[in-house]
Amino acid sequence: MSEFRSGSFIGEACEGRVLVVDDEPDIRKVVKMTLQKAGYEVLEAENGEKAIEVINSGENRLLLDVVICDIRMPKINGAEAVAYFRTNYPRVPVIVLTGFPDTDMATSFLRQGVVDYLVKPVEGEKLRAAVARAMDQRELARL
Amino acid sequence: MERPRHTKVAIVGAGRGGHALLDLLHRVPSIEIIGIADRDPAALGLQRAHELHIPVITDVLDLIRNHGASLIMDVTDDPEMEAYLHAHRPPTTDILSGSSSRLLWELVQHESKLEAELLQSEKLAGIGSFAAGIAHDINNPLQLILGLSENLAEERDLAAVHEQARDIIEAVKRTSAICRDLTRYSRRASPHEDVPVSVNGKLDEALRIARYASSFHDIEIIKHYQPGVAVLGNPDELLHVFVNLITNAVHAMEQTRGTLTLETAVLHGEINVRISDTGCGIAPEKIPEIFEPFFTTKAPGKGTGLGLYNVKTIVNKMHGVIAVDSQIEKGTTFTLIFPNRELTG
Repeated sequence: MSEFRSGSFIGEACEGRVLVVDDEPDIRKVVKMTLQKAGYEVLEAENGEKAIEVINSGENRLLLDVVICDIRMPKINGAEAVAYFRTNYPRVPVIVLTGFPDTDMATSFLRQGVVDYLVKPVEGEKLRAAVARAMDQRELARL
Repeated sequence: MERPRHTKVAIVGAGRGGHALLDLLHRVPSIEIIGIADRDPAALGLQRAHELHIPVITDVLDLIRNHGASLIMDVTDDPEMEAYLHAHRPPTTDILSGSSSRLLWELVQHESKLEAELLQSEKLAGIGSFAAGIAHDINNPLQLILGLSENLAEERDLAAVHEQARDIIEAVKRTSAICRDLTRYSRRASPHEDVPVSVNGKLDEALRIARYASSFHDIEIIKHYQPGVAVLGNPDELLHVFVNLITNAVHAMEQTRGTLTLETAVLHGEINVRISDTGCGIAPEKIPEIFEPFFTTKAPGKGTGLGLYNVKTIVNKMHGVIAVDSQIEKGTTFTLIFPNRELTG
């Protein structure tokens, strides 16, 4: 499962480990680019099924800090994946990043404990701020 | 025993009125059009009659006397012709002419306008369900464009700048293709525009549009296209037929996931199009109803019930037939058969 551990080197300052779940490679690429600039290590998964695989593999169980998850995806979709993360990894904050603004859906996600509901296109600054906020919440949860 | 009522109609005048009558009457099973006549051999309706395999009889007297017409429809709006027909008709033959014929013409026009309205309103009602798909397909490239542009503002590596600029251009093209597809789909079909339409091309275009209406994730698509298959018809209307059938097929597989198969072939000189799914199937007792207007199995607000009705109307207008074969929990196949009018015409 070493292919999931990209971009981190021993000794490099790492702000945290973020998993980006989106079926569009372009989105994963650009989100990764945006977050790496802020010093995050970024893992990728192309659907909910892969995302669950990633979070369950090796040290990710303990070291994954934040999940950013799309909704409209093949295999296990975003809603199913979010429910899985909330149930099995309540310590990991989830940010939804979707192409379709839907108030009802947003409300239901926030009720499930999703920390942020962002609609594409989202500016790098906003995305980094949302991840930073999520990291703080994770710290609080650990205390 | 009741005898089948069968009206044998002779049409006099092949202008716009005659043309419209042909289009309307040939779809009514109880009406047989025995022939059409016009003084002008280049009249619009005569060409249409050839396409519909309706005899063109040059001599009006021959048409009204020798072919067993029970009703003569005079759409020439010419008082002399009206007088001539009254003088020469066989005693048992009725004549529709003058103001009654004009009234009929107005009703025909009204009917075709209503049909077009119905098609358009069903199409627009369907577009509402595209919102999620469109938002997804536009916002994803926008995310890429925004992210890359932000990066370009500070990027120093010239090669990376070039690559990302190219990515942005591609993303813009993808986004504008969405708008092109949708405007083409949502526009009102222009009337009387029968041209050769590539069936394979229209199926592919319909696939792109149907993706907005329903999630194709986890649906395998198999295409068996015979190259170069074309039918005569209105491209916008044929697109609508395919979008409708494909969307239904995908909806039928929503719970199970499955395979969508699109096939085209020329068999025995006829054009065959098959759209099959491996979805939930249609209950046998429902099958006779599916082409009826306002029949729907969808939840209130989800379907207009006009989809298959409009599909059948369009297919019949193209002189084709549509058949359905379905098994519960196994899947459904819609088969469309069109005459090869290009070869005969």
